[in-house]
Amino acid sequence: MNMHALQVFLAMGGYAAYVWPAYALFFIVLIADTLDPVLRRRRVLRELRTRLARQSARQGRSSGVTPTPTTSP
Amino acid sequence: MSNWIPLWVHKLGSPPTFYRFAGIVMPWMMALALLSGALGLYGGLVLAPADYQQGDAYRIIFIHVPCAWMSMFIYAVMGVSSVIALVWRIKLAEVVAMESAPIGAAFTFITLVTGSLWGKPMWGTWWTWDARLTSELVLLFLYLGVIGLYHAFEDRRQGARAAAFLAIIGIINVPIVHFSVDWWNTLHQGSTVKLFGPSKIAWAMLWPLLTMTLATKFYYIASLFRRVRTDLLALEGGKDWVREIARGEDDR
Amino acid sequence: MSHAGTSTACAAMLRRDLTLAWRRRGDITMPVLYALIVTMLFPFALGPEDTLLQRIAGGVVLVTVLLAMLLALDAMFSSDIEDGSLEQLVIAPQPLALMLGMKILAHWITTALPLIVITPLLAGMLHLPTAVMPVLLLALLLATPLLSLLGAVLVALTAGTRRSGMLLALMLLPLCVPAVIFAAGAVAAAQQGLPWLAPLAWLGSALALAMVLAPLACAAALRIALDA
Repeated sequence: MNMHALQVFLAMGGYAAYVWPAYALFFIVLIADTLDPVLRRRRVLRELRTRLARQSARQGRSSGVTPTPTTSP
Repeated sequence: MSNWIPLWVHKLGSPPTFYRFAGIVMPWMMALALLSGALGLYGGLVLAPADYQQGDAYRIIFIHVPCAWMSMFIYAVMGVSSVIALVWRIKLAEVVAMESAPIGAAFTFITLVTGSLWGKPMWGTWWTWDARLTSELVLLFLYLGVIGLYHAFEDRRQGARAAAFLAIIGIINVPIVHFSVDWWNTLHQGSTVKLFGPSKIAWAMLWPLLTMTLATKFYYIASLFRRVRTDLLALEGGKDWVREIARGEDDR
Repeated sequence: MSHAGTSTACAAMLRRDLTLAWRRRGDITMPVLYALIVTMLFPFALGPEDTLLQRIAGGVVLVTVLLAMLLALDAMFSSDIEDGSLEQLVIAPQPLALMLGMKILAHWITTALPLIVITPLLAGMLHLPTAVMPVLLLALLLATPLLSLLGAVLVALTAGTRRSGMLLALMLLPLCVPAVIFAAGAVAAAQQGLPWLAPLAWLGSALALAMVLAPLACAAALRIALDA
């Protein structure tokens, strides 16, 4: 009985081929829209960290010779 | 600026404050979106009875109609923040306008495809050159134009201002397109399909629809805030508050 | 230093652009050639039946002219950006919108007018009835300046970017839909013997509006795109 109800639900009165793709597309597009900024955020922060690391390495090297005008680290 | 604007608005306009504010609000909005989305889908897919004319195919409206509303709502948000960005040159308004565009394009795309999937069984064709459908397609092209123009510039703020200008032109354009296609349809009779007759919608179908509309609104706020936060990090890369965040998330 | 009067400056601007265009006559003929080739391909693709060609003639000519104009649109400001004279124009004391209006007019004279001149030939190739020809010409006379004006705003917006014709087409498409609908609608109505004045009147009112607003929008867009 329960299986049958599920089958009826999935069949969507014969319109399953239209209803389910619509819902699948809805979720796929919105999940992609959610993931995009998450991935972008990771990339931005990674780039920033490498830039900071390079900067502090350069400052560490040059500070032995001339005191660089210190901007806040 | 004039002093009738309360102070907290000014504060919210500054990137670090907004970043923190959005970070607090965003998870709540996402939770609300998921909650009301689940409720709306349960009501729409399970509880609501089948339509006596359209059978179960009408259940596509529970995503199609909210997405259609969102596609226009987001364009309005983009247009308003474009005006703010161009008139007052507020960085946050530029970011909001430009980060709204991809979300709006996504909703417009969903609207067009789900509309086709609904149209095929209902009036036997994937596509018809009706004023509503054509306007929606033009809206998609407007979104794509804004996104394309934004990315064509090397300087992002300049790109944002140019694209904001295009968005404002688009706002004027959409009603003109709608009107002209309407006129065109009366000229070329024969292809006119009456899509939405005046009909009363039953409460059992209406409340899931409204709940889904609410869910998409919450989702938009969450997604927008997530995008704006990311964009602010990229734009303000040289500032101290961003560096602190970058260091704080070192443990990946 | 005395500023040149506005009307003198307008005339000078127009003369300069027309002279420059005349020195590169080859560029003027390119859109015309393009329109001829595209129109010629349609009978080959669809077959030479008179009735079919007659039915599509108006629309084909309109779209062909539109595409040919789009092809030339990209070049509207490009040489002026390269040699820096556009920046000079922006800081000139004369109103920028008026100067840009003159540039748009010059561009229309050099690209759209030749296309309108050969339109009877294009339409003749597709057997458009002679009685409909004046309506088609009138529709083009109203629609092409509208497209030039709208296109100029978009070209100004992309002035600060590396050239990309595809982006321009993407941006222009939503804007030119109403113009195409009304111009083609007028021709179709004339062909069916229906009154064709109303769509042309809409086109005319749109053109009047664009003539006032588009140069202003163009100036604003240029200021954004060149952002000092």
